[in-house]
Amino acid sequence: MADLTRFKHQLLARFIAAFPALGRRWATAAGGWESAAAIPWTALTKPLHQCRLALVTTAGVHLRDQPPFDMTDPEGDATFRAIATDTALDDLTITHDYYDHGDADRDLNIVFPLERLRDLVAEGTIGSLAEFHYGFMGHIIGTQLSRLTGASAPEVARRLRADAVDVVLLTPA
Amino acid sequence: MGLVQKAIESVGIATIGISLAREVTAQVKPPRTVFLRWPFGHPLGEAGAVAQQRTVLFAAFEALYAIDTPGTIVDLPFRWRREVYSAAAKPPDLVPRIPS
Repeated sequence: MADLTRFKHQLLARFIAAFPALGRRWATAAGGWESAAAIPWTALTKPLHQCRLALVTTAGVHLRDQPPFDMTDPEGDATFRAIATDTALDDLTITHDYYDHGDADRDLNIVFPLERLRDLVAEGTIGSLAEFHYGFMGHIIGTQLSRLTGASAPEVARRLRADAVDVVLLTPA
Repeated sequence: MGLVQKAIESVGIATIGISLAREVTAQVKPPRTVFLRWPFGHPLGEAGAVAQQRTVLFAAFEALYAIDTPGTIVDLPFRWRREVYSAAAKPPDLVPRIPS
C-alpha cells in the first residue's frame, strides 16, 4: 500500500515536471501552510571573499549511508541530514517523491551545487565553506511542519552559527 | 524552504534563497530571494551545464548584496533552455553596498 502511495506521488511529480504551470497552480492552492510573520534580517557586512558559506537544500539530498527521508508519512519528514563539506557527490542521493529528480540524479549540482561552490572558493570568490551543509525534504505539512519550525530548523540554525557561518544559500526542489 | 531560511536568518546569518514557486515565496516572505520561472527540480538549471549553474550562483550572490528591503524577490531574467551562458563570465563585485 505504501508502495502504491509512493508510486502515485512519483507519477504526479513527473506529470508536474511536464507541465510547470500546473505545478505553480498546485503550489498556490496548497499555500497557507506557511504564514508570513515578521521577516528576520541580518545585514551582511563582509565581502563574499571573506565569508564562510553553507548550503541548505530542501531537495531531499542525503548521504547514501544515512537513513532516507520518510516517504510514507503524508505530512512529510521534518528531520535533516548533515553533509560534510568534503563529501563526494557520488556518495549522495535524493529521497523525495514529490518532484522529478531525474536530472538532479545525473548532476546533483542542479539542486545541491557543492562542486560549483568549491570552484568559487578555489577561485577566491567565496572565503570558505562551512564544515557541514544540510539536507531537508520539502513538502512538509501538519505536525511535521511544527516539528520543522519548532525543532529541526532552529537546530540547523544553531549549528550553522556555531560553525561561524556568515552566509547560507538555500535551494529548493 | 522559506521557513528554514527565516530560522537561519533570525540567528544572525545572512541568507539568500532560490525560488521556483513565486507565489509560495511571496506568502512565506523569506528575507532575500531570487526567483526563476524554471521547472521544479532545477534551481541551478540543467544537468552538466556548468556555465549556467555559475550564472545562477553569481545572480544569487549579487542579490544577496543588492537587496536592502526584507522580503524582496528578485525576478531573474533567464528563460528556460533559451539562453546562452558564457563559461568565461566573471563574478560581479560581491561586496557590501555600504562598507562597515
